Amino acid sequence: MNKMNNTENESISKELEEALKSFESKTKQVPAGYFVQFDLALMEKIKAEGQAPQKARIVSLLSNQKKYLVAASLLFAIVTGSLLMNKTENTSAPIAKATIIDIETLPDELIEAYVNNNELVAEVDWNSAIEAAGNNLTSINN
Amino acid sequence: MTDQALIIQFQNGDSKEGAFTQLLNRHREQVFFQIKKMVLEHSDADDIAQTVWIKVWNKLDGFKQESAFSTWLFRVAYNETLNFIAQKKRLKTHSTQNELDHTLDHPSSQDALKETEIQIKLERAIAELPEKQRFVFMLRYYEAFDYEKIASITGTTVGGAKANYHQAVKKMTTILEHA
Repeated sequence: MNKMNNTENESISKELEEALKSFESKTKQVPAGYFVQFDLALMEKIKAEGQAPQKARIVSLLSNQKKYLVAASLLFAIVTGSLLMNKTENTSAPIAKATIIDIETLPDELIEAYVNNNELVAEVDWNSAIEAAGNNLTSINN
Repeated sequence: MTDQALIIQFQNGDSKEGAFTQLLNRHREQVFFQIKKMVLEHSDADDIAQTVWIKVWNKLDGFKQESAFSTWLFRVAYNETLNFIAQKKRLKTHSTQNELDHTLDHPSSQDALKETEIQIKLERAIAELPEKQRFVFMLRYYEAFDYEKIASITGTTVGGAKANYHQAVKKMTTILEHA
């Protein structure tokens, strides 16, 4: 039943009020002894919940150390990475630098002399080879 | 013994079950009927009410009594009812609607036809109200809760609760006028 006793009720038509009254009596229909049964069932459920063995928590052995493991792995990866990078730089840089520096620092005269000497050596080699081959041929013909 | 004293008794662990049973006896019917007005089906109301009281048992230790026990209790009931309705909507098996359709198709007797039709229209109108509007209307109309309490239960403002109530009345009146 409507428990309000103020002007709000005035906004509710007689028809609606009647329907609401009827609605309430319909919703208030419960089987006999329902609430006694409700209490019993509820307390049983609560007791059963309390007595039910708590599900064992699965605790990973490494759960506490997990963050340290992750941090250590990251640190290891960073350190290893940086070491490898430095090593590569150290091994490759001198060669590249030396090559560049040698070429750059060599005076033109030196380079020219080197080329000329090697040409001479090459010519000498060729001449001696031809000479030797000629000698061989003459000895065979004779 | 007041609700507050019973809660303290429960929280202290002195006759926990006794304190809880007293609270249950005091409030169970009001809570149950409020839930039933929302879901209409007796078995659904029974399920929700059981869940509500189990939650009360489990959470009462942490209840700080910053609001009245009944306000907190109805808030739990409100949340559980909304969860239930949302779940049911997802399953698309709204038994209330099915039941109403069935009743509309098969009226019990010619004499009761007019009354049944109005009743069915009202129930349909109630079922069509947004859940918050419905809950607010029931608390205000049937339980005569003040708007502050209703606002606290439904997590709205006093103005919002008032608006919900008047919108619900307007909607139901319009549906009945066209019945």
